[in-house]
Amino acid sequence: MRTGSPTARTVLTGAITGQLRQVLASAGLSASHQAGEALVPVLIGVVIDRAVGRGGLVDLIGWIGVLAVVFAVLSTSFRLSARTGERAVEQAAHQLRLSLTRRILDHRGGAETGRLPGALVATATGDTDRVGTVNRALAAGIGAFTGLLVGGVALLVVSVPLGLLVLVGAPLLLWLAHLLGRPLERRSHAEQERAAYASGVAADLVAGLRVLKGLGAAPAAAQRYRRTSRESLAATVRAAQAQAWYDGTLLVITGLFVAAVGLLGGRLAAQGDLTVGQLVAAVGLALFLLGPLSTFGWVNAEFAQGRASADRIASVLGAPPATPAGNDSPGTPVSGRLDLRDVRHGTLRDVSLHAAPGELLGVVATDPAAADDLLRCLGRDVDPDAGTVELDGVGLHTLDPERLRAAILVAPHDADLFEGTLRENVGTPAAAEAQVRRALTAADVDEVARALPQGIDTPLTERGRSLSGGQRQRVALARALAAEPAVLVLHDPTTAVDAATEARIATGLRELRQGQTTLLVTASPALLAVTDRVVLLDDGAVRAEGSHSDLVRQDAGYRASVLR
Amino acid sequence: MSQPSGTDQPSGTDQPSGTDQPSGTEQTSGTEQTSGTEKFSGTGPSARELLPTATGRQVRATLAELLRPRRFLAGRAFGLLVGSTAIGLLTAPLLGHIVDLVVDGRPPGAITTPTLLLGLVAVLQGITLALGLSQVARLGEGMLADLRERFIDRVLDLPLEQVERAGSGDLTARVTGDVTVVAEAVRSALPQLARSGLTIGLTLVGLAVLDWRFLLAALLAVPVQLHTARWYARRAQPLYASQRVAHGAMQQQLLDTVGGARTVRAFRLTEPHLARVSGSSVAAVELTLRGIRLMTRFFGRLNLAEFIGLTAVLVTGFLLVRADAVSVGTASAAALYFHNLFGPLNAALSLVDDAQSAAASLVRLVGVTRLPAPRRPEQRPVPVDGTVEAKELRHAYVPGHDVLHDVTFSVAPNERVALVGASGAGKTTLAKLIAGIHRSGGGSIRLGGVPIEDLGAAVAGRTVALVSQEVHVFAGPLAEDLRLAGPDATDEELTAALDTVGALGWVRALPDGLATVVGDGGHRLTAAQAQQLALARLVLAAPPVAILDEATAEAGSAGARQLETAAARALDGRTGLVVAHRLTQAAAADRIILLDAGRVAETGTHDELVAAGGRYAALWAAWTGTRETHDGTRETQDGPRETQDGTRETQQQDGTGETHRQVSSREAHRQGPVPGQWQPEPPTPAAEH
Repeated sequence: MRTGSPTARTVLTGAITGQLRQVLASAGLSASHQAGEALVPVLIGVVIDRAVGRGGLVDLIGWIGVLAVVFAVLSTSFRLSARTGERAVEQAAHQLRLSLTRRILDHRGGAETGRLPGALVATATGDTDRVGTVNRALAAGIGAFTGLLVGGVALLVVSVPLGLLVLVGAPLLLWLAHLLGRPLERRSHAEQERAAYASGVAADLVAGLRVLKGLGAAPAAAQRYRRTSRESLAATVRAAQAQAWYDGTLLVITGLFVAAVGLLGGRLAAQGDLTVGQLVAAVGLALFLLGPLSTFGWVNAEFAQGRASADRIASVLGAPPATPAGNDSPGTPVSGRLDLRDVRHGTLRDVSLHAAPGELLGVVATDPAAADDLLRCLGRDVDPDAGTVELDGVGLHTLDPERLRAAILVAPHDADLFEGTLRENVGTPAAAEAQVRRALTAADVDEVARALPQGIDTPLTERGRSLSGGQRQRVALARALAAEPAVLVLHDPTTAVDAATEARIATGLRELRQGQTTLLVTASPALLAVTDRVVLLDDGAVRAEGSHSDLVRQDAGYRASVLR
Repeated sequence: MSQPSGTDQPSGTDQPSGTDQPSGTEQTSGTEQTSGTEKFSGTGPSARELLPTATGRQVRATLAELLRPRRFLAGRAFGLLVGSTAIGLLTAPLLGHIVDLVVDGRPPGAITTPTLLLGLVAVLQGITLALGLSQVARLGEGMLADLRERFIDRVLDLPLEQVERAGSGDLTARVTGDVTVVAEAVRSALPQLARSGLTIGLTLVGLAVLDWRFLLAALLAVPVQLHTARWYARRAQPLYASQRVAHGAMQQQLLDTVGGARTVRAFRLTEPHLARVSGSSVAAVELTLRGIRLMTRFFGRLNLAEFIGLTAVLVTGFLLVRADAVSVGTASAAALYFHNLFGPLNAALSLVDDAQSAAASLVRLVGVTRLPAPRRPEQRPVPVDGTVEAKELRHAYVPGHDVLHDVTFSVAPNERVALVGASGAGKTTLAKLIAGIHRSGGGSIRLGGVPIEDLGAAVAGRTVALVSQEVHVFAGPLAEDLRLAGPDATDEELTAALDTVGALGWVRALPDGLATVVGDGGHRLTAAQAQQLALARLVLAAPPVAILDEATAEAGSAGARQLETAAARALDGRTGLVVAHRLTQAAAADRIILLDAGRVAETGTHDELVAAGGRYAALWAAWTGTRETHDGTRETQDGPRETQDGTRETQQQDGTGETHRQVSSREAHRQGPVPGQWQPEPPTPAAEH
């Protein structure tokens, strides 16, 4: 990451200067390609004048030889230019993708604030591609400018009035086409979006097929789809008709332009100011020049899109961290004393909570939001608005976040599994082989593994969706246990697990965490039964404290929370 | 018109561009993963039974069916495009005529007429083209709409079993990928191909009219072009398929890493994840670059063909002019003709792989539309009430491995039965069999006295509903989502259904209330809200029998309680079969069936089973987690029960009376004025003590 806050401009210039050699090479080759393209119509004119018109065989062979050389040069230039240009595009996009990922994963967090994962992924793929494309647009722009220069000069050499007609007329024509096309394109764009909606609805209905079948709602869904499809059909046909008229209009004005060039050129040729070959060359050049000119329009649009994308990238890269980084390390070894003092954050109201080293502490939160807020403070995803969280007497905010997370592991309820085998998911780099074994047994993953085709070496696909909810939870729990952190915070680790298994897990958990501080944020009686002590958070404040069995016996509110 | 550049504009500068323009790349990456997905699921671990693909004959037959009602439209479209192209072909001879006039030394005024004609040609060509393309769009889009509707109709009719055998990925790939590929082809490739094809054909005719020897010269380029097209198509298909796969993998990896950022940070997996993202990105980049190399080689070869053809035409012109067979103007016209071909030829040839993809996708769509439709006999027996009777049910997913063994039980109308048991005991399988989603391997199921197989899909769908923990929020306004279950429901009925499941509060708080767009791309609902919505749909569908399969499991422990209340209310007035993890749900049911390894192990009321001290009693003890303090357990069990309303208390006084009595008392209450009240929430045992 750069120092200073990145802006759209720094992102764009970074993408270009990072690939400067490729961009320059591509631009030079593109210029050579365009110059060659401009020469082809000139050469056709020459062949007609020198060879076809006069019947000179030597001239014919000679000029066709020249044509061959020009073709070879332009073809090779185009090929190499396209390749170097694309490389510059892809490499710039790749670099940006990595910077974005690095920023998103940064231990201080903050990049995800207010952004959905889907939107971030779209930025990391679509926006990076569009910023990268600026490199090709730049090279193409330079090439087009060269083509325009060569073609323009050739035309002016042939005839000044004809040259002026084309050089003034062609941009005018494109401007006209642009004016005509703008409303059409806008309309067609809007209608295409509505058309795309139909395929979205279809995919959505299929995604919910089980739900529809479960309710017997398939006929209603089919009817709805037919309606959507018909609306979409009307929209697409309107869009296509707009496009058809645009294409037709473009053909008319281009044809009229050629007629104008033919009229002036023909008259000049008839007066003897122009040879026949020059007339043919002029018509050809007039058409050729529309190409580079329209390339400018494309380059302009690409830059505009690139800037917008660069802006989105810059705002992610420069997102303020959720928590400022401290530099201190927790003491070694970490004894695992955890103290919350008058913590106020979100729904938490002056929460003071203490876990002694090695204690297995249950936390029951009547409000799910309070549990989330507590977890976020403990994992230092945020700093509390007031009060402190301390590990071994040191405030979390003074610690380096990465080293802090090595000491306190907060395993969220909706833990994500990743691509890879079950074994790879549980065995994070922090976990030794023996730890993994113990954790697999404690979380009852052994049983999960037995049901899988390749045991713990079975690959998990789609973030573990190949597993059932309960299996996924057990694997995630095993992963948290295997890391054996000094302080482990677990949130509702067994909600999708059946009662018998849950009881086994409770016992295993208790044994495995012997002597290490563990916080169990849950309302599951089976888990709470194995804790040393339970704290009841009601309405964001600590309302009761004691052993599970005492609380169940004595505290009606607690009983209401955990037993019904 | 003359297009005197080496590679002609559309293909030369900004068009070499199937890969050049961003839209091209995005398309290949994002929208369609068809062939890729197919390939990969095909090589998957289990022998999937993919949905069928159509034969060439079936595709032709389907296309003919779609075309028949539109034959006049098709005729008009074709006629207009032919007319437009033919008019356009006058341009080159007119320019040639101007050249001849100049060569003949006519006065400048003579030029005026042919140039005016040139202008006229342009105007007529433009208008006919616009009209023709409009008709082509109506034709193609209309056929496409018919096809996709047939497709979705059939898909929604498919037995779920068949979809599951094929893997849901197969169907998803067809509906997202293949439909898009065919639509794109109809939208862009079809008009382009129609125009190019006509231009090529008619230009060749035009060349022959000028002099047949020009035609021969032009045809010299054809072998190179044909060879190039075949060469390209062979390589492009697999390359683009793997490109799409690589792009999809990169996207998936990013989604994995970004979506799991919190987990990545917590477990300090940053470096391995960066390496994974980098790896997948490099793979995608490499394939994109390979694609560009292929593309540029393709255009390089086409340049060679252009050069050969152009040279041949120029040499022919030279020889013919020298032999006085044609004028210089005709020779120029021939050269311009051939030049005009560069654009359409390159366009047509680069559409080769689009056409191939479209054909492959079409085969997969038509394959589904041609599946036999389920028989819909007019007279079906109608269930008389909400009884469920299962007799000696057996089921096996893998032959020889029965997951259910001779399961027999019956449920009275409006009775609520909880299915409990460890994971893998067969609860979900049983639920699916009764919901008619799977067919049993043996035994019988009767709903309301009628065997389930006699009900037919439509009636069975209205008789029994299954709400599973798999929630899906349908994209669009919330009201539309609910109306899938009750198509004719008024806003008041929707509101009442939401109220029943306790969702009205948050729905009212949504930005646009019932009209709020939810689901994919809309307002995101939490898992618990989505599950409440599923229950509201159940209320609207109002089937006599409802099955809830872990319908409350997704929420955390606090949310589960609210959902249980919602579920209980949604079940009011119908027979309920509830697959439950949380034993509090079981405790609240009229009767409990405990499944163990596919067999009914215990059945009875909560109190009976706890008193019996069997497996259920052990589960209950583990669940309440107070084994050591036996008294405490008793106390806590009694707590919630006593809080329940009069019906409950009556039940307790009845003690462990048989099911029927409980049912009738429950039933009596349900028909009472305030159906939602039988389980107040949250219960406060303290008040009772």
